[in-house]
Amino acid sequence: MSDSFRLATGRKLVSRADAQELGAVTHLLLDAAERRVSAVVVGKGRNAKLVDWAQVNSFGPDAIMVADELALHLPIDDRERAAADGKLEVLGKHALTEGGNEIGTLDDVTFDPRTGAIEMLRVGAREIPAGALLGSGSYAVILDAGQDPTS
Amino acid sequence: MKLLMTASQINGLPVVTVRGGDDVAEVRDVIYNPEAGRLVGLTLNKRGFFSGRRKEVLPAEGIHAIGRDAVMILDDSSLTAPEDAPDDVGHPATERNVIGDDVLTEGGKSLGVVRDLALLVGGAGEVVGYQIEKPAGGHGYIPLPAQLAVSGAALVVPDVTEEFVRDDLVGLGAAVDDFRARLGLA
Repeated sequence: MSDSFRLATGRKLVSRADAQELGAVTHLLLDAAERRVSAVVVGKGRNAKLVDWAQVNSFGPDAIMVADELALHLPIDDRERAAADGKLEVLGKHALTEGGNEIGTLDDVTFDPRTGAIEMLRVGAREIPAGALLGSGSYAVILDAGQDPTS
Repeated sequence: MKLLMTASQINGLPVVTVRGGDDVAEVRDVIYNPEAGRLVGLTLNKRGFFSGRRKEVLPAEGIHAIGRDAVMILDDSSLTAPEDAPDDVGHPATERNVIGDDVLTEGGKSLGVVRDLALLVGGAGEVVGYQIEKPAGGHGYIPLPAQLAVSGAALVVPDVTEEFVRDDLVGLGAAVDDFRARLGLA
């Protein structure tokens, strides 16, 4: 079963230790080089915190389970601060090829909830294999030349 | 994907890193060497609402691709301080600007005045033609040989160029190869 960035948005994060709800998913942070989910961003603005993928016990269909609230941390570097500010949210970003052509906006990303590995990127009606992903940042996700329009 | 764009269409495009996905700058202007018919680089503006000039330039060697929607670079190490860039990029001579020049055939006939450059993009970009304002009014496009004589006020093209004046970029795209074949350049 695969999960998706869109489906996971708003899902609650729950502590296994005391069954407390620790927050809701704002978005997932994508590591384009590794083609995997690197962290879960919970909350917004100054209250935003991150959960590294390694701290996720189970990425379930109804809740994301972590050991306890120590799984959450405040942003510790520029990339995490940008993620907490929402600048790295990939959904809605330009989908650009390395040839400099925009093929649409990124509508969803599917991944394996057991491993965090990215499976597919959806741009409009197109489903693009994760292998085509070259980069991701504040402006766009970059896809390889194989995704370039032919005319 | 190869396509033809004018320099004005390239100006203002975001400069985006392939690995980082960030828009690190935007194109201010195209720097062009008319004698060699070659794009030598791009000058840059800062990105954003209060954008001003960026002092770094982007030499052609640092361009991964120019596309319809963005100029791609691998990472921002491609942005180069003018003093570290090749002279024709770091300190482009203003007399190299062909915009406003009269296009004269070798036979001495004026085909019009240069208004814009037409570049074949997809890769680093090659200047393959000019948009001209015809003496009778209206715009046209002419293909260019690989090299030509430029003075700063006028440039001289082969007589046969007159047969290859086209109304739009699509027409120019089809004309470039035929034109160069006629000149024995293809």
